[in-house]
Amino acid sequence: MGLALFYILIFPGFLFLGFLSLAFEFIDRKLYARLQNRVGPPWYQPLADLIKLAAKETVVPREAESRLFRAIPSFAMAATAAAFLYIPIWGKTSLFPFDSDLIVILYFLTIPTLTFFLAGWFSSSLYAEIGCIRAMTQFFAYEVPLYMSLLGPAMLAGTWSVSGITEFYSSNPALALCNLPGLIVAVFATQGKLERVPFDIPDAETEIVGGTFTEYSGRFLALFRMTIDAELVVASALIAAVFLPFFIPASPVFGFILFLIKVFIVVFLLALMRTALARLRIDQMVGFCWRILAPLSLLQVLIDLLVRGVLVS
Amino acid sequence: MEKEASILQEIAKRFISLEGAGLIPAERRIYLEVPQEIFMDVIKFAAKELGFKHLCTITGMDSASCFEFIYHISNDDGIVLNLELKAQKENPVISSVLPVYNGAVFYERELEGMLGVKVSGLPEGRQYPLPDNWPAGQFPLRKDWKPDKTAKEEGPDGKN
Amino acid sequence: MGKIEIPLGPQHPALEEPESFNLLLQGERVAAATVALGYNHRGMEKACESRTYIQNIYLLERICGICSHSHSTCYVQTVEQIAGVRVPERALYIRTLIGELERIHSHLLWLGIAGHEIGFMTLFMCSWKDREVVMDILEMLTGNRVNYGMNTIGGVRRDITPEQAEEVLKALDVLEERTKYYTKVATEEVTIISRLSGVGKLSNEDGLRLGAVGPVLRASGVARDVRKDDPYAAYANLDFKVATDEHADVFGRTVVRVLELMESYKICRQVLKEMPDGSISVKVPGKVPAGEAMSRYEAPRGEDLHYVKANGTDMPERVKVRAPTLANLAAITHMIEGGYLADVPIVIAAIDPCFSCTDRMVKVTDLKTGGEKKFDWDGLRRYSIDFYAKRGVDFRNTSIGKEER
Repeated sequence: MGLALFYILIFPGFLFLGFLSLAFEFIDRKLYARLQNRVGPPWYQPLADLIKLAAKETVVPREAESRLFRAIPSFAMAATAAAFLYIPIWGKTSLFPFDSDLIVILYFLTIPTLTFFLAGWFSSSLYAEIGCIRAMTQFFAYEVPLYMSLLGPAMLAGTWSVSGITEFYSSNPALALCNLPGLIVAVFATQGKLERVPFDIPDAETEIVGGTFTEYSGRFLALFRMTIDAELVVASALIAAVFLPFFIPASPVFGFILFLIKVFIVVFLLALMRTALARLRIDQMVGFCWRILAPLSLLQVLIDLLVRGVLVS
Repeated sequence: MEKEASILQEIAKRFISLEGAGLIPAERRIYLEVPQEIFMDVIKFAAKELGFKHLCTITGMDSASCFEFIYHISNDDGIVLNLELKAQKENPVISSVLPVYNGAVFYERELEGMLGVKVSGLPEGRQYPLPDNWPAGQFPLRKDWKPDKTAKEEGPDGKN
Repeated sequence: MGKIEIPLGPQHPALEEPESFNLLLQGERVAAATVALGYNHRGMEKACESRTYIQNIYLLERICGICSHSHSTCYVQTVEQIAGVRVPERALYIRTLIGELERIHSHLLWLGIAGHEIGFMTLFMCSWKDREVVMDILEMLTGNRVNYGMNTIGGVRRDITPEQAEEVLKALDVLEERTKYYTKVATEEVTIISRLSGVGKLSNEDGLRLGAVGPVLRASGVARDVRKDDPYAAYANLDFKVATDEHADVFGRTVVRVLELMESYKICRQVLKEMPDGSISVKVPGKVPAGEAMSRYEAPRGEDLHYVKANGTDMPERVKVRAPTLANLAAITHMIEGGYLADVPIVIAAIDPCFSCTDRMVKVTDLKTGGEKKFDWDGLRRYSIDFYAKRGVDFRNTSIGKEER
């Protein structure tokens, strides 16, 4: 019991994830700034922002569904933290690997988006409503390509367990190269999941002010921000585990350093995308997902099926 | 200055009563006072047949004895024709030039708000540029209007 | 999906100044739009009537923070015409130079804003960084980054030394290089093109019909530019092209502005090369003879118009200002309707609106501070709390309202 609590609350649970998310938020912001010819924030800025936001007055609109309005941010954070428990971070296996945990991770990663929708809906604000409808529309567009892009590698590895997938590809690194289209799809879809440029349509400030989070303030908003940072880490870690399973050493310390490097690479790609692109319109975003990402992920599934056929025969 | 003079001649040819009227004080500037009865015909003629397609703006003014309106219209040669129209002080009414210049809404609304002149033919809409809670009957660009007067009419305490 | 009405403004992240658009939405599409203006009234036209001609230069320069030189030049041109003053050639060239530098600064600023509106912060950061180059030049030449105070009736107040001219030329080289890069970015980057092209269409006929001016009209293929049509300052002696584009959408407006930047660099170099020697101003008496005049000026946002009526004293009888944004307003509702909500910010931004210029007339300050009845800070606060209480937002029981009771 004591150990389980330690896992959940301290390592690799809330505290560790929180620390990691703040660190990667800093890296993301610093990269973004340097790419834009700016100096960027000091290393403690994300923490300072979090503390300051948490210390601010929290306003709950009279019109809003008060209890849900307060509860929703916690759900978002909890789901993200739960997903993190099943991702291997220092070696080839996660802390609690079980068969088909990939599905569970994807399921947990779906919950934050749903909470964004609910948060917007229960705020009873015009901007928030438009934002949450956009969040939902966007959700249906990127989620299918994301699932299919992860389905391919899993089929090739013949397992639904992330630890199993990592193990399979680290013993056959050449086969991981088959998953390149899937990697591209997953990176784009992750950007959509995190609602960042060019897919920051649900909270496009110049159009609908704060979008889903218009009515949120104080510690609830801080919790949402934290969730998005944590999602960044979890999603990047998932991509690293499934698509970049190279050179995993036996030592957990080196394994962990390598894990950080891989997550950094994914975060760098995401920051680069944010720097180089402008925000799309919702119809353009949906069109992009269905016309380009979905076929690309189908192609991925096809490649993996063929390779698997060759391997088995 | 020949172009400017020929424009005045064209107008005089069409509207005999404007024979000899009009001034050309500078290059590309024509000033012409037009009586209210034929004003709409003159501005239509200038817009449709003389190529003065662009309405720069409408200046409204409180002269001592009357209200004066200047319609600054320009053509592609950069010539600005300033058509001056006068309206009496009591219940001034002028007709809207919206049928000729579709973009004139805000200029005319400004005349209504600032000078208190009625522009007939202007569609209903929010007043411009004065705020919604501006007291009725206060027209800032009239010469007898002093800022302090409104301050007393609607004071900041909301009562008086 | 039913129709919902959403307010855009008076305070909104997409708008740099207060104005209000009411959008009737059907899904993501805008079914109808109405504009409400007047949040920026400072009563300037009325105020001009009780100030001398010289004081008015400085008042009118503050109509706008960006095209300040445009307004002051337009005004002094008008007064000079009434007074029958012949301005020295050198002064006209200096006015032109400052005017063009102002255009460069304004267009670079616009480019950044456009990037911000479509969520492309990188463009915003980069173009604003380069804008500092031209701001520094303006500061060196005039002493100020905005509100340059260069104009006076009868000429300009500061001369340009050969060393300064050298510096300007150096800066122009840097800016030209960067502008070429922006042209490439704006015309080749995929997401920018997909966000800008086909958005906010304004056909040639509609543009003319609704009285649009400046880059908005030129992007619809109409080569109308006051600098060419009705030349003022030194433009009659300069060689430049009027940039137009046939796209008739936001993309076209971007192209026109970038092309105009390139033309402005050319004009600045010509001005510095051909600037004649001589005095920079002539003395003009404080009293201006009775008469009337109007003048037009091609501000960065389009045609600016000033009309002055003099009555023989040292104060004008009437000053009328028509800023370019007001002329473009009729076109804007036309451009928004039928488009996407997501495109509204960029369509509004594409006319490069300046609502401070547009709303300038009434003495609202007098209303608020109440003439003799001056407000102190607490009084103003009490007033605002009561004001909102009447409209259903009650601060009286919150910590803000309680403190002083």
